[in-house]
Amino acid sequence: MSPNVVDPVAVGGHGAPSRLVFGPHETNLARGRAISDRHAAYYRRRAAGGAGVIVTETASVTANDWPYERAPLAAACPQGWEAVAKACAPWSTLVLAGLGHSGSQGSSAYSQEVMWAPSPVADVVTREPPAALDEDGIQQIVDAFGDAAVLARGSGLAGVEIDAGAWSLLRQFLSGLTNQRSDRFGQDRLLMIRLVLEEVRRRVGSDFVVALRLSCDELAPWAGITPEQATQTVAAITGWGVVDMLTVIKAGPFSTSAYRPDAHIPECFNWDLCQAVRAVAGDVPVVLQGSVVDPGRASAALEAGVCDLVEMTRALMADARLVEKLRHGRPETIRPCLLCNQACRVRDPRNPIVSCVVDPASGHEANEPALAAAADSTPADPPPGHLGDPGASGASGLEASSGPPVLVVGAGPAGLECATVLARGGRKVRVVERRQELGGTLLRAAVGPGRERLGSISEWLAAEAHRLGLAIDTGVEADAEMLSRARRDGWQVVLATGARPVADRYPAAALPVLDPLAVLGNPGALPEGPVAVIDPVGDAVAVNLAEWLATDHQRHVTLISPDPVAGTQLSRTGDLADANGRLQRAGVQRRLRSLVRSIGPESVHIEDCWTAEASEVPAAAVIDCGHRLPDEALYQAVGDPGFARAGDCVAPRSALEAVLEGRRVALRLLGWATASAQAQEATPGASTTSAATTWADRDGPRGSTGPAADPADAGPSDAGPGPILGATRR
Amino acid sequence: MSGGSRYRHLFSPLRVGSLTLRNRVVFSAHLTNYATQDGRPSEQHAAYYAARAAGGAGLIITEEHSTHPTDWPYEKLIHGFHEDVIPGYRRITEAVHAHDVPILAQINHNGGQASSMYTRLPVWAPSPVPDPLFREVPKAVEAREIAEIVAGYAKVAEHCLRGGFDGIELQCSHSSIVRGFLSPATNRRTDAYGGSLPNRARLLLEIVDAVRQAVGPRPVLGVRLCGDELIEGGTTIADAVEVARFVEATGQVDYINTSIGVATATLYMIEASMQIPPGYAMFIPSAIRQAVSLPVVGVGRFKDPLQADRALAEGQCDLVGVVRGQIADPDFTAKARSGHAEQIRTCLSCNQECVGRMGLNRWLGCIENPRTGRESVTASVAPPRARRRVVVVGGGPAGLQAAVSSAERGHHVTLLERSTRLGGQIPVAASVPSRAELLDITRNLVAAVARLGVDVRTGCAAQPATVAELRPDAVIVATGARPVRPWWAGSPDEFPSVVDVRDVLEGRAAPTGTVVVVDELGFHQATSVAELLADRGCRVEITTNGMVVGQDLGITLDLETWNVRAHARGIRQSTDLVPMGVGSGAGSPLVLTLQHHPTGTDRTVPCEWVVVAGHQQPDDELWHALNGWGLDAAIHRIGDCLAPRRAHAAVVEGHRVAVGL
Repeated sequence: MSPNVVDPVAVGGHGAPSRLVFGPHETNLARGRAISDRHAAYYRRRAAGGAGVIVTETASVTANDWPYERAPLAAACPQGWEAVAKACAPWSTLVLAGLGHSGSQGSSAYSQEVMWAPSPVADVVTREPPAALDEDGIQQIVDAFGDAAVLARGSGLAGVEIDAGAWSLLRQFLSGLTNQRSDRFGQDRLLMIRLVLEEVRRRVGSDFVVALRLSCDELAPWAGITPEQATQTVAAITGWGVVDMLTVIKAGPFSTSAYRPDAHIPECFNWDLCQAVRAVAGDVPVVLQGSVVDPGRASAALEAGVCDLVEMTRALMADARLVEKLRHGRPETIRPCLLCNQACRVRDPRNPIVSCVVDPASGHEANEPALAAAADSTPADPPPGHLGDPGASGASGLEASSGPPVLVVGAGPAGLECATVLARGGRKVRVVERRQELGGTLLRAAVGPGRERLGSISEWLAAEAHRLGLAIDTGVEADAEMLSRARRDGWQVVLATGARPVADRYPAAALPVLDPLAVLGNPGALPEGPVAVIDPVGDAVAVNLAEWLATDHQRHVTLISPDPVAGTQLSRTGDLADANGRLQRAGVQRRLRSLVRSIGPESVHIEDCWTAEASEVPAAAVIDCGHRLPDEALYQAVGDPGFARAGDCVAPRSALEAVLEGRRVALRLLGWATASAQAQEATPGASTTSAATTWADRDGPRGSTGPAADPADAGPSDAGPGPILGATRR
Repeated sequence: MSGGSRYRHLFSPLRVGSLTLRNRVVFSAHLTNYATQDGRPSEQHAAYYAARAAGGAGLIITEEHSTHPTDWPYEKLIHGFHEDVIPGYRRITEAVHAHDVPILAQINHNGGQASSMYTRLPVWAPSPVPDPLFREVPKAVEAREIAEIVAGYAKVAEHCLRGGFDGIELQCSHSSIVRGFLSPATNRRTDAYGGSLPNRARLLLEIVDAVRQAVGPRPVLGVRLCGDELIEGGTTIADAVEVARFVEATGQVDYINTSIGVATATLYMIEASMQIPPGYAMFIPSAIRQAVSLPVVGVGRFKDPLQADRALAEGQCDLVGVVRGQIADPDFTAKARSGHAEQIRTCLSCNQECVGRMGLNRWLGCIENPRTGRESVTASVAPPRARRRVVVVGGGPAGLQAAVSSAERGHHVTLLERSTRLGGQIPVAASVPSRAELLDITRNLVAAVARLGVDVRTGCAAQPATVAELRPDAVIVATGARPVRPWWAGSPDEFPSVVDVRDVLEGRAAPTGTVVVVDELGFHQATSVAELLADRGCRVEITTNGMVVGQDLGITLDLETWNVRAHARGIRQSTDLVPMGVGSGAGSPLVLTLQHHPTGTDRTVPCEWVVVAGHQQPDDELWHALNGWGLDAAIHRIGDCLAPRRAHAAVVEGHRVAVGL
């Protein structure tokens, strides 16, 4: 029988409890440059959920390699690695330390030192020339890899993974794009990686895992690593007998965003590449990486002999208990990764904490443990009030099912998340939705190339609501009277009524000004002729709409943006350059640095942001992708500021905020306080394990349990932590 | 003549509330990103402000302290609402008071000029109007939230007083919820806090009341107002003057500070680069000063004590904010007072390492002061164990800084420069009119070299033997870089009209007619030469392989003014183009072939000249030769001859190598 992702596997003589890998990635969870208690809580949750292998965030092996501010530094990591090893030990997860050096793809901003590389070739992103390493410099880096591996071993980890991937000096040595040396390191481009791997192996001995993450296609065939070269490289590397596991990835200096791309790139895009590499890898286990988010596809890859393990990093951010749910035969309860990259891609100078749109507890396990606990519950779980031992943490436990029933108004992500968490907590819940279908704005916006997957969280939440047996009334417009009656009858009420378009942004428009959601739902209603898409926001909405109208509906489209490039907010998802390329290939005219002045009968009058140069964009219809406003009609009608609200009806933002606030409101109604911003602040780094260590831990050791202390009573309301109507803490 | 008499107005004391300031120089509030990861003031804050106090500033105002947990727009904001900031406050105030200089704390809630990235809470603002930078729809605050905001200011003011500050400045400009309420562009309320100007100013006046009540009568209380937001429908000077009158009428405020622009919409006018003339914002304090009797602070690119003294003499303001001037030289005031103004390390207004690093969430530095941002970790240049004979080869910023820092440590320094003038590529870059102030870095360094008695030998093309003859204990090679002819440009014999930016600026080539500037660097090189050639009458197009011409000009706040100048000169800008080759055309001397990489289509451009702004290569022959020479001396390599980068890398490495000798 072919292996399943949930089956154990042997790697370098060590057992991993499943074939699922949580790969190394930037988190910004470090304190200074050290792997932290926050990392430990983050990895622990994935270990508890059944991940087979965890590779910690790549640590630089030398101090002058400092690619981003919170990039771990191996010399500062032993304590943090030890904490991670201990945190994951109960589940026998194979934990490897990611080790790397980013070479010319680093930064001089933090180190204030020159970057070092095989050759003085400036990185295409920073455009900063590095200095070429000499033999001494190379030897120091080889030694540093060995030193770092010894530290990892001393910290109780099972092994290391050496990075020759998207941002790596070792890949730069392998590639003709970046290695233009004429010495022995240029004549034999594999020499550097060989020296490093052999040194690491020599220093750590044979019973310690040495894994390798290797770019096998730089997507720059004129001089970069090609799949053909990569198979030769892999055959050579596996022949040296020093590598225990190999992860096949695709990325180069021109294509770092191809490493973990968003949904514009098909799932499992490394399938063929990985298969070809495995064929020459001998008995070294090979890991398939690359937008693998569906467990069914992962199993199919194992069955087809594409790989021995599967890396599903983003899927494990979306649902930390993925493996466990598969083991229990409940794949339908797995929260789907959207491949949206909105919150998980954090190589960003602002140092955002890694998180996930569908599970905003991700990355915040240490600070908001209750959020994680709520995500990790399933209908089969007993409610939290039963899980903890209320007696053990004083009398603060809540008999979850004892609270009043809850009426949730609105069935978008905020309302459904709130309703399902409440239901899992034992509350009777009724959801009313004015539209005929569940899912809210997000589902309606999930149209067009690369966008379909976005709706899967709405669909999942709707299915979850049905599984939980919630009373759901669609096509019902709640009014003030309904809410008053509900409250008289002892119900608690949550408003999640979403956002509305701004109707009068262009009051004097001589052309129809349409809402993008309306166009996505019914493109046929768009008048004939050229279309102007006004995009003051710069997120995926307008870019997607323009591309979709041009490609799928053969419309002549102009995108009007105040920015120097279209879709500026897409830098976060990695799609910025690709999106501008797609727009141009689709024939979309981009009118950049432009402000709309007026809308005439046949054109939109625009002006250059800086020079005020006026021009016209021919149009028969205008689509206004500007910000939406909160739908507060019901809130204002009831006139009670104490009403619990979540998501866009507080302020229209992304799905992450909707899910986060829906969950927070539910937890508050259940009497399960979430840590407030103040509370996180008050105890930086405090690992409040009290609530997080409950539901996911049934197969492992118990932490102390019971609701976290509620620090939030003085906090702001409206989906932020704070007092809430009818919250009956006892 | 001592500075005290030379700058009579600058050095006359002034009473501000309960404080008497010994001079009129204010180190006014600015972000530093020195706060710890969890929003606490750091040792670096204390060392940084103390250095400016030691340098004689009349008054220091710290960067903002946040008044409420809903306010966290950038990572390293001081969370003043936490009581445990107080020990850090004490460390700052004690360090500054040791120099007998008063220090105020600026307190603020940024309002809608923020995102929920760090708070994971809705952003608060007067109305649901998204900020043009953050683009997140805020939540319109309700009555109880307004009360919370006011209470937050009072609480943080009280923390500041317990932390030893001499008073409080309320930030009501740049980026502030108070600014948001004052401005018709962001306040669309229909309640008592919106509509008329008195209504829009209500929050400010409530905060003034609450803060004064919290701190008592003695501490100084100031209000910083924006005189012109430079945005459509925003606050203009008439409103600002009226608000200043309201503020004075409370009888609770001791001074008014001023500003121009909105941090998230018109930042390039707040932290003006060298493209904006000095004194550009002085119409604001001038107008306010005529309306109120409170002391008024004026700001805006004051680089020189003379400028500041003149603004005071002309009655434009009562105090002068000098921020970047004191970032570059903490001793700005002391040098002016002691009659050594010519020794001031004059700010360039280049914005590369101060403003440019702020926007990228990095600690504040300075292109020409390697100690800025490192005050707490680097002791000032310590005397060496032994006095050594140091030979520096190359008189660009790297070599000059190495010579200065080495000489300051007492070493015997000889500087060899092959050309007849010092400064390396700086005078070349500064030869373009709009970049002229860049030359100040050379002037400052050359003056320092002369003052410190460095043996400077220009016109000396150093060979290993030349260096060896000087019997050095240490050699610092700072020989710079030279242009590289790109692969696609053919040979210089075949295509002599394909040249480098340096060929044009150094006078070896004089393009005329139709010129294509190919930008591979994204900084000032291409835009400078384009502007110069357009001024000489050329028809100029700039092409870049990036998505924006002059991409990094955005970081230094030069992109807006560049676009205005380019438009005025008819310079065409084309993006996403990769040069593929040049050839000879029929009817034009040159044809440049460019590939539009998103679509893979080729474009051919007939032209007379192609000017390349490309990466250079290290001029490191001497370094290699010296390493093979068998000198009994340490040989160091710094700046562009290590890797051709921007001036800051040269300065940092010059200083570092000298400190290590």
